[in-house]
Amino acid sequence: MVSLPGSLKLAGRHVLTSWPSEVSVAPECVSKFNELKLKKELKYIIYKLSDDYKEIVVEETSTDPDWETFQQKLMNAKSSHRGKEGAGPRYAVYDFQYEKEGGEGTRNKIVFIAWSPDEGTLIFPRMTYASSKESLKLALTGVANEVQANREDEIEYETILKDITKGTR
Amino acid sequence: MATGQASTKPPDANEYGGDEISALVLDPGYSTVRAGFAGEDVPKSVVPSYYGVIPTDSGNKILFGDNSIHTPLPRISIRNVMSKEGTVEDWDTAANLWEYAITSRLTNAKPGPLAYNGLNDTENDDVKMEGVEEQEKPLRDNPILMTETGWNAGKDRERGIEIAMESWGSPAYWLARNGVLTSFAAGKSSALVVDLGASSISITPVHDGLILKKGVARSPLAGNFISQQIRLMFSQSQPPIPLTPHYLVASKTPVDAGTPSQATLRTFAPNTEPDHSFRLFQEERVLTEFKESVVAVWPGPGRLSGHAQSGGTNMDIARQHPGKPFEMPDGWNQMFGAQDRYRPIEALFDPKMALSDADNPQPSASQTVGALIQSSLSQVDVDIRPALLAAVVVTGGSSLYQGFTDRLNQELNLIYPGVRVRINASGNAVERKFGSWIGGSILASLGTFHQMWISKKEYDEQGPGIIEKRCK
Repeated sequence: MVSLPGSLKLAGRHVLTSWPSEVSVAPECVSKFNELKLKKELKYIIYKLSDDYKEIVVEETSTDPDWETFQQKLMNAKSSHRGKEGAGPRYAVYDFQYEKEGGEGTRNKIVFIAWSPDEGTLIFPRMTYASSKESLKLALTGVANEVQANREDEIEYETILKDITKGTR
Repeated sequence: MATGQASTKPPDANEYGGDEISALVLDPGYSTVRAGFAGEDVPKSVVPSYYGVIPTDSGNKILFGDNSIHTPLPRISIRNVMSKEGTVEDWDTAANLWEYAITSRLTNAKPGPLAYNGLNDTENDDVKMEGVEEQEKPLRDNPILMTETGWNAGKDRERGIEIAMESWGSPAYWLARNGVLTSFAAGKSSALVVDLGASSISITPVHDGLILKKGVARSPLAGNFISQQIRLMFSQSQPPIPLTPHYLVASKTPVDAGTPSQATLRTFAPNTEPDHSFRLFQEERVLTEFKESVVAVWPGPGRLSGHAQSGGTNMDIARQHPGKPFEMPDGWNQMFGAQDRYRPIEALFDPKMALSDADNPQPSASQTVGALIQSSLSQVDVDIRPALLAAVVVTGGSSLYQGFTDRLNQELNLIYPGVRVRINASGNAVERKFGSWIGGSILASLGTFHQMWISKKEYDEQGPGIIEKRCK
């Protein structure tokens, strides 16, 4: 009856994750992601953990490509635990568009952003978001890059652009 | 509470619905072992890993806990269950100590078998195991999550589950790397964890929730080393600074700074003195007070041994910084100039500033913080090094010195110019001291974690080797 450690059932097979916390992922998380991937209208999706921290759900989707607005949403996000509120970690998927070098047109990459601000967060949400991330990542196929961001300068457009075009993340 | 035999079937998912089950979290360190209930914010039980041994006619009496090991009983000696490398050295006593840490503060377990109550010599394994089988096991209702260092390996990894399942009767078990718990508690699945504890300073690269074992680096330049540096500073002062622990002071009168103390010292009748190890242990408490109130880190720029850009030495500049007074238990007191405040910890960055003598040789350059980090990163994939340097997490009780993280930041900028270095160090002292316990507490309380425990049934079927398969 005990399932494999840190495993998720994908297409009938058990896939091992590196970390043994299997949070459930609401079906909308995957369906919205597929929409972003295939129909190319959605620009980004912001995911959060439900208030009881048992499920990953969609908080917001948007067609607005303005990076500043997206950045502000992450920085203003909140999380609560045991009656206390602090800054909120979030997960986001962004359809990142940039100029190819040599002016050969634009390119799109789907970037997964694990946002967990160092400042102002409570330890419980930080720990729970960090240990639940793999569950969401495994459910989303086609993510080109992952970015771990803990400070404002790590979710600047230029910083992320540098990371994903260098291929270091 | 359940009664009757320990269950041998795997835990029912409904039993572990999250709030109903009282999982325990045990985080052993060199100085203390932290124990508590999963879901709580702090460990309710923090017990020294040191223990007292009193020779009696019927064998050694063993004493655990702060209420017992600080009394200068006749011939008491002080030992530690942990090795200087921060792993368990004496498993039998460790198992008893940890059981004490849990049952004395957390659970209402009945007293353990006769073999554990301290009146029997703990070297005799056979007697102890017979006793265990006949008694009710103390933790038969409690899953246990234990933590381990990044360098814990081999059979040592299996001892914890053996103790939990066989001696304590736990229905479920998990072993977590404390570097990973610290990384996650800082909101990062990838990080370079710098843990400055009592016995060890360690560097643990964590990538996507897994430790990169080849990159784990450690050295002994940690809290105990800093204490030793202070001892040398005291003994090498002109005149030497006396170090008299509290228990030896019967009464004292105030004296002027730098003058000899006028205290009446306690004397012991022949053959009733505590062992020398007890004295060293009690001196350590005075050194801890000194570390907490006086010692600080030279803020730079450059090293304490270096030269200022304006000319002159950094030591000269240090002498102008604020000093701090300190009073010993016997009344001796002095103002410690900043150059002496900075000295005991400087060797962590610059080995030639280490105080030394015949018994305490100068550390090697490879043992400093900077060198450890370089060594660690040289063993991991070059592509992930920038991500790790952008996510340095500082933790550990000995990381709390004023100026430590700023100095570490300077060191890393020197070693890795042009690279984005970001250091995350909790401003909360409780999180620095108990970070991995807290991470374990949250993890073990997550409803979603409950399917992941290793159950008693799986242990019975596969043996302790299951740890290597399930807990990375």
